[in-house]
Amino acid sequence: MNLTINWISFVEVFVAAMLASVVVVGFYALGLRLLVRAGRAPVVGPAEFTDAIAVITDKQRARAAKAAAKAARKSPLTDGQKRFALVCAYASFAVCGLAVLGGLLLILFNH
Amino acid sequence: METAALLVVLVIALALFFDFTNGFHDTANAMATPIATGALKPKVAVLLAALLNLAGAFLSTEVAKTISGGIIYEDQISSSLFPAIIFAGLIGAITWNMLTWLLGLPSSSSHALFGGLIGATIVGVGAMAIDFSVVFSKVVLPAVIAPLTAGIIAFTATKLAYVITRRYDGRPDGRDGFRVGQIFTSSLVALAHGTNDAQKTMGVITLLLIAVGWQTSPEPQLWVIFACAITIALGTYTGGWRIIRTLGKGLTEVKPAQGFSAEASTAATILSSSALGFALSTTQVASGSVIGSGLGRRGSKVRWRTVGRIVIGWLLTLPASGAVGALAALIVVWLGGWGIAIDAVLAVAVIVGLFLRSRRNEINSANAMSEVADSGKAVKVTRNPPPTRRQRAIQRRQEREQSRQEKGASK
Repeated sequence: MNLTINWISFVEVFVAAMLASVVVVGFYALGLRLLVRAGRAPVVGPAEFTDAIAVITDKQRARAAKAAAKAARKSPLTDGQKRFALVCAYASFAVCGLAVLGGLLLILFNH
Repeated sequence: METAALLVVLVIALALFFDFTNGFHDTANAMATPIATGALKPKVAVLLAALLNLAGAFLSTEVAKTISGGIIYEDQISSSLFPAIIFAGLIGAITWNMLTWLLGLPSSSSHALFGGLIGATIVGVGAMAIDFSVVFSKVVLPAVIAPLTAGIIAFTATKLAYVITRRYDGRPDGRDGFRVGQIFTSSLVALAHGTNDAQKTMGVITLLLIAVGWQTSPEPQLWVIFACAITIALGTYTGGWRIIRTLGKGLTEVKPAQGFSAEASTAATILSSSALGFALSTTQVASGSVIGSGLGRRGSKVRWRTVGRIVIGWLLTLPASGAVGALAALIVVWLGGWGIAIDAVLAVAVIVGLFLRSRRNEINSANAMSEVADSGKAVKVTRNPPPTRRQRAIQRRQEREQSRQEKGASK
């Protein structure tokens, strides 16, 4: 049996997957961090369904929304700084979306 | 000639049934975490998974080419025997898939397919009809390396997500927003599943068409791509309704940031592997990611016993489905046309029996939960993780200030 293994392709998979994940997760997390900085901390309630697990209750969600609003009021940033943080947050989310789109196009292009 | 054509049609129907069970079996892999963390309603999640599986099947054909053009030397098998061999292999794969689904054993649809085909070919034709070099480099090695790769990537991504969003002043950190992000990452996993898993059936049907001389190129025909895409999407949609009630229960410990990172690494690993023609098990990759992301959280420990149970299940899949495929092939070799009929009757009896048995049982975490959800239990995460270095420094500073104030007050 002539065993020829293309180890480079395994390295390629690892590097490509690592790069894609780090870019997507990193920029998405950065976007969330900047949203908080802009005074718009996201508070997302769980979807309503009967059997699966509710991660936070409505009461907890209301409490979190209140805490987020309080933190936004106490923010030492000026309106301009907050607006800049918001723009950067959306830019980070856009980088995420473009990374995913680019990856999919790369697969289609190779195909 | 008519009998041969009938057999080819029968094998294609069986291959599509395998595709259906594959979608049915794996719905939870894509949608377990967003449902568990409350990112998506189950109804929406399953519909989204089905549609994206459909779209994913059209994305690439590299995995199909690996199966149709590499694993089995079709030129060494007579065109009259080959459909029967594939038929026997598919029976092995479907029987093992259904059995593990019913018993709640960790398994992989992809490895069941490879095991069934290899076992049937070895018994029906001989070991020389298998290209073990391709089996090793494109199936066995990726099976070992991919979950590890996904685990390492998920570990890194989870650490990154937590480091970037961590706050030291106790104010909202925005991590709730990962729940929205999970809608996109779980959609990517469903797309990746369609890209890798639907192609396996495309590869088997193409292999069959080449063997009987109806096709020469290893590229799947358009009708094959459409048929496999629609079937896996239907299987995904149907499977979702059964697993929906208990889907998230094994993943109570998965936080949105962790789920987001795990899914991003699963999708990235499967999509990049599919582009290079590696036939992966999405179950194994997703499980590796869930374990890796669990370890990426502070204060987590691996439950090695659970990991061992999952890995043993994976290791058993290839030989067990191979044994069933080999047995089915043996009946064909001994009895010819009658053997095929007996195989078909036995397979239908086993499938119907398992299906009826599954309906009698109550749906619970043992028989309906995804294997990925099961791997969530492989990592123990403490409720109060130890503080980070910076948090410890802040605590020390606060303690110093407090003691200074107390001293000042006593004076």
